[in-house]
Amino acid sequence: MSAASAPIDGDNRQGIGSSPRRNEDRRFLDGKGEYVADIRVPGMSEAVFLRSPIAHGRIRSVEVPPEHQGKVFFAADIAFAKPIVAASAAPNFQRSDYPPLAVDKVRFVGDIVAICIAPTRAEAEDIAQACVIDFEELPPIWDIDVALAPDAPLIHDHWTNNLYVETRIETGDIEAARKSAPVTVRKSLRMGRHAGVSLECRGVVAHYDRRLDELVIYSSTQFPHVIRSILAECLGVSEGKLRVIAPDVGGGFGIKNNFNPEELAIAALSLKLGQPLRWIEDRREHLIASPHAREHRYELTAYADQSGRVLALDAVVVVDAGAYSVWPWTASMEAGMSAGIMTGPYDIPIYRGVARTVCTNKSPMGPYRGVGRSGACFAIETLIDEVARSVGRDPIDVRIENMVRPESMPYRSATHKLYDSGDYPECARRTAEAIDVAAIRKRQTEVSPDGRLIGLGMASYTEQTAHGTAEWVARGLPVVFGYEPALARFTPDGKLVLFVGIQNHGQGLETTLAQVANQELAIPVADVIVRHGDSSVSPYGMGTFASRSMTMAGGAVSAACAQLAEKIRRIGAHLLQAPRDEVHLADGRVHFGTQSVAFKDVCQAAFLHPERLPEGEDPALEVNAVYQPGRSTGAFSYATHACVVAVDPGTGHTEILDYVVCHDCGTMVNPMIVEAQVVGGVAQGLGTALYEEIPYDENGQPLASTFLDYMIPGATEVPDVRVLHMETPSPHTRFGIKGMGEGGAIAPPAAVLNAVNDALRSLNAAVTETPVTPERILDAIASSAGQRVSA
Amino acid sequence: MKPAPFSYHRATSVDDAVAALTQGAGMARILAGGQSLVPMLNLRLAPLDTVIDISRVDSLRQAHDDADSVRYGALVTHAAFEDRRVPDGSNGLMPFVAGQIAYRAVRNRGTIGGSLALADPAADWLTTLVALEGKLLIAGPEGRRAVAAADFVIGSYLTDLAENEMIEAVVVPRRSATERWGHYKVARKTGEYAESMAIALVDKARNYARLVVGATDGAPLVLEQAAQAFLDGRTDDALRVVIRDELLAAGREFSAARLTMHTTVAMRGLKGAAAK
Amino acid sequence: MKVTISLTVNGAQIRRDVEPRTSLADFLREELRLTATHLGCEHGVCGACTVMVDGAPARACIALAVSLDGAEIRTVEGFAEDAAMGVIKEAFHQEHGLQCGFCTPGMLISARDLIARHPEADDVGIRRAMSGNLCRCTGYQGIVRSIKSAARQLSSQGKQP
Repeated sequence: MSAASAPIDGDNRQGIGSSPRRNEDRRFLDGKGEYVADIRVPGMSEAVFLRSPIAHGRIRSVEVPPEHQGKVFFAADIAFAKPIVAASAAPNFQRSDYPPLAVDKVRFVGDIVAICIAPTRAEAEDIAQACVIDFEELPPIWDIDVALAPDAPLIHDHWTNNLYVETRIETGDIEAARKSAPVTVRKSLRMGRHAGVSLECRGVVAHYDRRLDELVIYSSTQFPHVIRSILAECLGVSEGKLRVIAPDVGGGFGIKNNFNPEELAIAALSLKLGQPLRWIEDRREHLIASPHAREHRYELTAYADQSGRVLALDAVVVVDAGAYSVWPWTASMEAGMSAGIMTGPYDIPIYRGVARTVCTNKSPMGPYRGVGRSGACFAIETLIDEVARSVGRDPIDVRIENMVRPESMPYRSATHKLYDSGDYPECARRTAEAIDVAAIRKRQTEVSPDGRLIGLGMASYTEQTAHGTAEWVARGLPVVFGYEPALARFTPDGKLVLFVGIQNHGQGLETTLAQVANQELAIPVADVIVRHGDSSVSPYGMGTFASRSMTMAGGAVSAACAQLAEKIRRIGAHLLQAPRDEVHLADGRVHFGTQSVAFKDVCQAAFLHPERLPEGEDPALEVNAVYQPGRSTGAFSYATHACVVAVDPGTGHTEILDYVVCHDCGTMVNPMIVEAQVVGGVAQGLGTALYEEIPYDENGQPLASTFLDYMIPGATEVPDVRVLHMETPSPHTRFGIKGMGEGGAIAPPAAVLNAVNDALRSLNAAVTETPVTPERILDAIASSAGQRVSA
Repeated sequence: MKPAPFSYHRATSVDDAVAALTQGAGMARILAGGQSLVPMLNLRLAPLDTVIDISRVDSLRQAHDDADSVRYGALVTHAAFEDRRVPDGSNGLMPFVAGQIAYRAVRNRGTIGGSLALADPAADWLTTLVALEGKLLIAGPEGRRAVAAADFVIGSYLTDLAENEMIEAVVVPRRSATERWGHYKVARKTGEYAESMAIALVDKARNYARLVVGATDGAPLVLEQAAQAFLDGRTDDALRVVIRDELLAAGREFSAARLTMHTTVAMRGLKGAAAK
Repeated sequence: MKVTISLTVNGAQIRRDVEPRTSLADFLREELRLTATHLGCEHGVCGACTVMVDGAPARACIALAVSLDGAEIRTVEGFAEDAAMGVIKEAFHQEHGLQCGFCTPGMLISARDLIARHPEADDVGIRRAMSGNLCRCTGYQGIVRSIKSAARQLSSQGKQP
């Protein structure tokens, strides 16, 4: 293991562990990125969705003004399109159809009733505005408690109640622990519902390519191949007649990792009308009708000994998954993943976890950076703090003492996860040292001149990444995301093109995959072109999500390039008239002593002059490889975050004074990019922690639908995050790479809440809900003052 | 998120704009910088038939330095205040406030007249103008009239402006050179609308104090008792109680949290002025 | 009813008939096919559509094209030959000031204006000045670093935007 600080400057190496600047930057800096809204097809019409303004109701009729007849399309117009069904294999999972356009019933504000088309978006909006929907309104199921009330109206008529599914994990004897444990700590927590908010909203362009006789779908998606498969199924057409292209995608974070009704509806209508269509989601649609994130509730009980050692954990996770089950993840993913990683980095032998997924009249819950783990971390990490308090110890010590020891690796958790490698306590210690706990504790004893209260919060997590077949099979999803392919193909002029099934939308994969090629082939990163995001260009792959692309596609690129390297050495040796074993690759050339030959000459021989090849050598330089990790249970990245806050008890405002992350994602391919992914993740996590929320009122109306009432952190709300790296290679993956795209977003809600509560300790107040708004802080202070008065 | 159709009238003068307003019969709106109106149009939240663009009326961009006051045309932008491209009679308060409004790209186009006409209770100019005892010059079909800022705003998004009137200029009395100001604003984020803001003006030489709290779900609140208590030498909890009681007496039904916030902000506004 | 407007976009004289409701952003993107100006919210908050109007940054999504008759507009495409913008872009490349690239054009426009007005801005000043441009990927750290680096280089070269 080595602690590496990101080598950003003065490094000419371009392979794994170096930080070459990104190949993809140029087009974005010149304003030449091409996002779905930039795409135009001749004869294209703009589509606008007529969305339900009410949460729950039956559609009696829709009045379309005479002048707009023929421009408004309903479910019956695309009846050939099958509904989206995302059912988990879990027993008792209540299935539901998610139709592309509502059939007789709407189930959330934003549910799609019809498609309006016109030459411009503005005119299409005019049509939508002119349509009048006559509803028979049904009682809105606007909250978990309302949904689970005994006589609650059913959102899906054929269900027995409004519960998608309840799953349980039981390891060890929780009842025995309950009876014998000297210390019992209970906690109830809530995480607010919010949106994913990629800066680019979603969008779809569909048109028919007459020459190729195929329907072409441009979608701002993270997984074009998988979209092609499900789209083919729902449209009832062959995958061979479908092409799905993800152009430049302006951020994904999970929200673009679902098969959404919009994609299906636009494709179906375009097919039916023989008319190119474009739908570009606007921000209001994004906030109310794209898949939502979080909204968890926790009931937690820790059983511990006098030193704060947690002996057993009892957890109930309840997630408001909204009105429909999203494909392919299913509605139960969020609660299931939270309960399934609840013990986190801790060695807690006895565990009972119940995951309850509730159906309500809200936009469906989908994956969002950190999926489930943000909630689990929020739960266990605030609970650990509480345990430490109740035994009178510093949370940092209790945290470290409870952690899985490095000598216990690989470690099987009470939630049946196999942690592959790492030193969790050391990571926490380094974080504590960097944030300078002693200095903060000292500062807390001093009176601050501005009356603000200082708090320190820490949070640790372990994160399953790059999991393959075993894990996805265990989850019972409709698709098993077990592998990634790479087709590595040289051009006759000596450039390398990598065709990959992942989708790059900010992660830097057009550079980091080139670095893997450099590692194998010593080809300059600038000579490597990465092609992705087009089902007709790349071999079939699963896309970019679940912190998997670098591990999976990196492994595939490595395997393909290693084979190419062998062949290049053979051809190069032949051209140099050198023994095969005495040549090596460097700087895009094959070297033999002081002589060398450029890859370009090797490629010329391979493609254009087979007569120059060694005898028996096949022409061409092209290899297709498929990679899956040695164990498909995942490579576990982990981290400890620490933050220092100043809470203003007069205004309830929280400022982050310092933020430290020490993390371990195994071997880092590009430390510059790794660090930036961590920082970007932290910024989103701070959004969850402090700013982002879509509350619903009793009518099921979302109360935040624009950036005027929905806040994401800006440059002044995100501190300079200090990132420390540890590198424990995964034993299961090529190069020991672990996934790390999501990690940064996992710990901030827990770290911030712990810090705020540490600050509020002197007032005997505590907050238990995210986002930690000024109102919530002031209310917590007021209610504790009220208790003091009445006591 | 595109506006519903509307017709467009480019006004050549204030009188021309007023005539167009009159002709619009309540369905015409003035477009100044557009930084609030156009978002509302995009969201289809502002039903109207006609937009009357006053941006070409040059007189509205002018500022005049008079002996006792400064007169700002309605189209003077926030950035013009921020950059001190217009005269200041407020001992620097107005440039300071301007620099805190939204973001630079918005300040470059947003105007003082447009902001005041909207009367968003959380917007900065309203509270500032009430604090500075400014007045608005209003043009209508019957001619011009002046109204004190404090009387101009009736409630949240509600003003004294008739449907065929427009703000032509803002007149801010020159403040005493010995007066000091305090400003305190809390917003969830930089550039966001205030959750609470207070402006305090204190002139020890004249034994004068004025305290205004904004973002109070209605017109800014002028806390006269609190200002007097401050002059009487009350501080800390004693002053806090007066502020709190006066806020409560305003009948705005503040939540406990909001009341705490406004009280704190008012205290800090006064403190800021006193410290200078 | 459409209205005829004449304006300068990236140095070119443009004359077009526009619907009054057409925003500058849609005019640039759909009429002129200048798609570097991105729409992230269409209500003036996110800053992705920031362009220069008569020499100052403005939100193209909440500016009506019809009202900009006679104006001079400059988008990121129009800064291709601008030396200062070249330095800023290179700094964004070196300091990893972008990820998905969607906010980047607006960031570059705001950054150039900031450096022109406040070449000495410190971290806090840069963060404040850039607070009207939202980025969902970077956490802003790389952006702040990029702007600081560009400002330093430009000032040491004695160049200002």
